Amino acid sequence: MDVRTHMSMIFHLDKCIGCHTCSVACKNLWTDRKGAEYMWWNNVETRPGTGFPTQWENQEHFRGGWERKKGKLDLKLHTRLEGIFKLFYNPSLPGLRDYYEPFTFDYQNLFNSPKKDVQPIAEPISMITGDPIDIETGPNWDDDLGGSNIYAKNDVNLEDLPQEVREQMNELERLVFNYLPRICNHCLNPACVAACPSGAIYKRDEDGVVLVNENDCRAWRMCVAACPYKKVYYNWNTGKSEKCILCFPRMETGQAPACAHSCVGRIRYMGVLLYDADQIPTAANVPDDELIAAHREMILDPFDPKVIAAAKENGIGDDWIESAQNSPAYKFVKEWEIALPLHPEFRTMVMMYYIPPLSPVVSVTEKSLFRLDLMQEDYDFELFDRLDAARLPIKYLANLFSAGDEGTIRTVLRKLLAVRIYMRRKTVHGKVDSVSRKTLAEAGLTEEQAIDMYKMTTLPTMEERFVFPNYHREMSIKAILDPLTHKGEVGLGYIQQPKRGE
Amino acid sequence: MEVKHKIWNSVGGRSFVILLLSGVLLIGSFFQAAASPGFQSSDEGKDIFEKNCVSCHSIGEGSLVGPDLEGVLDRRDRDWVRDFITIPDQIIVSGDPIALELLTEFNNIPMPNLGLTEAEVEALLVFLEGGESVAPVADAPLPEGNLDRGSAFFTGEDVLENGGTPCIACHTVGSVGPFGGGNLGPDLTRVYGRFGEAGLTGVIKDIAFPTMQGIYVDKALTDQEIADLLTFFATVDAEGEEGVADSATTTFWIIGLLGSGILFGIMAFYWPRQRETLSDRLRRDAGITSRRHS
Ligand code: SF4
Ligand code: SF4
Repeated sequence: MDVRTHMSMIFHLDKCIGCHTCSVACKNLWTDRKGAEYMWWNNVETRPGTGFPTQWENQEHFRGGWERKKGKLDLKLHTRLEGIFKLFYNPSLPGLRDYYEPFTFDYQNLFNSPKKDVQPIAEPISMITGDPIDIETGPNWDDDLGGSNIYAKNDVNLEDLPQEVREQMNELERLVFNYLPRICNHCLNPACVAACPSGAIYKRDEDGVVLVNENDCRAWRMCVAACPYKKVYYNWNTGKSEKCILCFPRMETGQAPACAHSCVGRIRYMGVLLYDADQIPTAANVPDDELIAAHREMILDPFDPKVIAAAKENGIGDDWIESAQNSPAYKFVKEWEIALPLHPEFRTMVMMYYIPPLSPVVSVTEKSLFRLDLMQEDYDFELFDRLDAARLPIKYLANLFSAGDEGTIRTVLRKLLAVRIYMRRKTVHGKVDSVSRKTLAEAGLTEEQAIDMYKMTTLPTMEERFVFPNYHREMSIKAILDPLTHKGEVGLGYIQQPKRGE
Repeated sequence: MEVKHKIWNSVGGRSFVILLLSGVLLIGSFFQAAASPGFQSSDEGKDIFEKNCVSCHSIGEGSLVGPDLEGVLDRRDRDWVRDFITIPDQIIVSGDPIALELLTEFNNIPMPNLGLTEAEVEALLVFLEGGESVAPVADAPLPEGNLDRGSAFFTGEDVLENGGTPCIACHTVGSVGPFGGGNLGPDLTRVYGRFGEAGLTGVIKDIAFPTMQGIYVDKALTDQEIADLLTFFATVDAEGEEGVADSATTTFWIIGLLGSGILFGIMAFYWPRQRETLSDRLRRDAGITSRRHS
């Protein structure tokens, strides 16, 4: 057992309101620069939809992630030999048009326009060329099912759904969507790291953040193509690749990453997970339907004395172990088993997890019309037994979060529903009846767990949502530098001297 | 608190400081003068002659590559000699009749610009005025040369013992290599005929050309290497044709232009057939075309 620590984020999709505050917070902090205009290290997609970049999940086209060939894992992008031939021409690489041409508006024209008979307008202009452009698409062009016939219809995850179900999803009464915020998953088996010919990408030891060393990056862009989540972006101005850094400078000072901190729906949780690095190769190389189980197996119980001993042997401090014990991530992923990795079949072993969305859940037919009032608990029960009545097809969620395995999704949804039914009885009716207890038991939860889940979902404080261990940066700095030498300087000295007037 | 400099405050101290300063200046100017051209000695001139001139000239021992310099200052105007030593290249280019006459007389081998300073030229003149005679470098006869080795040294196939740059980097001869050699230095096809064996040996041994001097400083060729190269040059002179490298340059251009033409042709074929982005394909399937990309 090789115990390591990882900072993981949980996204409770039921709570996401699709406000894009996270994306904007991230953009303002990190990617509001020349060459980075088109990057959205954090983006929020409407599902069903094609996401950003368009149809990123279509790995027949983009060839991201890993593939099992003859019991061995290999990059789907290319073998080593093919890689050499593709060094200068890599057709799997997304181009700017796969993302979108970043634009702004010529606001100055509103102030400076000469006198005319018509009102001046602010024409859209490209942020790359500065020329007027015709906006064709954007990072969330299909937001809230905008342009469904082009985008939502072509969601890759709908592909193996029966035709009639797909058609039903287009009917007004059955329309359904949810939001899917995405950042880099800081994978345990990152395809981006494996594909880089310069060895410029690495996963840091203390918290598992995957980083691009821009001094070593030589613009091969293999990482951009190899990441199945398309979360490495190429900066056309600096000629280097960039990606989400999980706001490590914030985490090191005990603050949540900007996206999580600013989240309006408070859907995000963060905490330490302990995992067994020895299990990564095997867990990434099991048949599709065993992936989730193997992944959960790899996450270790921070209360287990054997794990604690092994962790200490690896030099993990007491405060990190304690932090792992308080981690909301551990509760969601292992204790309650309701948080799932996004597209585990890409086999990069992601370390960010999603709790699949539940609502809006039910629709019943009455006089051949769909009834939408969902608040009566009878329908909850109806759904609990007949999850297929859910408006978002189980298969669709399974394609997103469990490599197509509907059983896993059913278990998770039943847990979520059982807690809802139980808590509704408790708070609305004032007492818990035997039926709701039974539902809870059937879903595999104890009453205590249900209450904990309820509290963690609805009432957590900031400190409960974000549990950060102390990074002890002062120690790692002291080890190599004398802080007094740098007293009176900016930070630890300049990489590039600032110039007046620039 | 006010700091007082004691020495400066007494009259005697003040004159002492001034005297000391004047002394320092006086001695300094004396050394300055000592270093000026007026003090050139003929010994210094001899050194310069033996280092730079002796590979082509003798004094009183007959013409070599260049003329015998005995009594040169009686034959020519002193100023002319001084200018010719300092900037021979410019004087030849300017069409000076004496210089041109000498050029024809000595197989069109121009006197190289040695890059000597004014002071060095002056020292050299002082030495020439002295009328001392200097024999040409009489060295032990060169060993037997080998044609193949000579050719290998020229092309750099074999490494020169002291690490000197192979000749091909700057020169071309006859039909060496498909595209000839470098063209920083002159074509060496006829060099053997022009300099003669003795002259060429001298030139390679005590290199007189400033461009080459820098390259071969501390990297002199061994006698065996010189002998091999001489054999090589002798053969090339007999068999090779001058100017082959020029036609090779033309070939080079033709191949290059043709090659890039073919590459651009292939690109022109594939460029419009690049894979359509998924985003564009979705919109095209839905019948949406943009103004710019329709
Ligand atoms: S999600 Fe992040 S860590 Fe994983 S492959 Fe993509 S860029 Fe690398
Ligand atoms: S800020 Fe939170 S609620 Fe808003 S879109 Fe992002 S994840 Fe969803």
